[in-house]
Amino acid sequence: MAFLCRYIKQIGKSLITFEPTRNISLSATTCLREITEKKENNVLTIEAHYVPHKKEHLQLKLDSKACSLCATKLNVKHTDVLILSQFLRSDGCMLPRRVTRLCDVQQKRVTALVAMAQKAGLMPNLTPKSSKKNPKRRRDWKKFNMYFDEKTIKNRYRNY
Amino acid sequence: MSLARRGQHWGTFARIWHVYDAKWQDPYRSAKLLKDYLMGLYKPIYHPLNDCGDHVVVINSKEIALRGDEWRKRVYFHHTTYHGGATWTLAWELHNKDPTLIVEKAVYSALPKNLQRRHTMQRLHIFPNNKIPKDILENISNQIKQLRPVPVRLDHIPKEEVDNFPQLLKYPKDYVLR
Repeated sequence: MAFLCRYIKQIGKSLITFEPTRNISLSATTCLREITEKKENNVLTIEAHYVPHKKEHLQLKLDSKACSLCATKLNVKHTDVLILSQFLRSDGCMLPRRVTRLCDVQQKRVTALVAMAQKAGLMPNLTPKSSKKNPKRRRDWKKFNMYFDEKTIKNRYRNY
Repeated sequence: MSLARRGQHWGTFARIWHVYDAKWQDPYRSAKLLKDYLMGLYKPIYHPLNDCGDHVVVINSKEIALRGDEWRKRVYFHHTTYHGGATWTLAWELHNKDPTLIVEKAVYSALPKNLQRRHTMQRLHIFPNNKIPKDILENISNQIKQLRPVPVRLDHIPKEEVDNFPQLLKYPKDYVLR
């Protein structure tokens, strides 16, 4: 059904814009890979090269082979939003393990901590578009401050 | 007697006014802390028959934080003594009605259950915001340390600090940032 809807939408789009539809994008503004075009004497060269991440110089250098949280031995609390926000997309979704490269235990622990921080309204700028940005404007009990005890995280995913 | 020792002496026998900022604090854990000051338990001259309790001014009681799902699980019971006069009010409903009542009830139940309790409660002053009347403010000479640090929202941290924070996550080479 979703495929059908998308197909109909694409047909509608092509009717309006009169442009051939492309299923692959050639460049994105926030992509870590940049595509450049050069023209020399009727020869067009299109090059793609990797762009270093903006915060490359802030990367922690760890010798250990363990995942970044295990290697640093950090006892992360749900109020440490500067650490937790690194594992999130801009809409507040947790990144998959393939991207975060955390071990199984830490990934689940961080997921639980992120849920706590979001419920406490500590990361209102990393939320889906539909959510109310100001936690004080939430409904019923959600507008009041709440905090969480990290000991309520399942025993297996505790690291202290 | 040295001057410092004399000051200590005065402090022991005087009624000291303490201020406690309840912002992001658990009222039930704070109550156990405030009890010691209200009853004067921390003083070397303490005795149950010795009226040596201090005054405690609690501010920002509207900004208290309850743990986990306690806002919708904790229930306050009241009975009018009439038939069918029982009411059960949830913590968040009570806080909507009067933002000072949860702190007051927490301290009241933390105090020992004796005839002195209501007199001890007279020395507790609770305000929903940080506005203290002038006649109370001029007495205050001590601040009680908060139990847990007030958490900072991510959008309230200065942008410079967020941008220069050490990174734990290394994105894969072909990852498209979102």
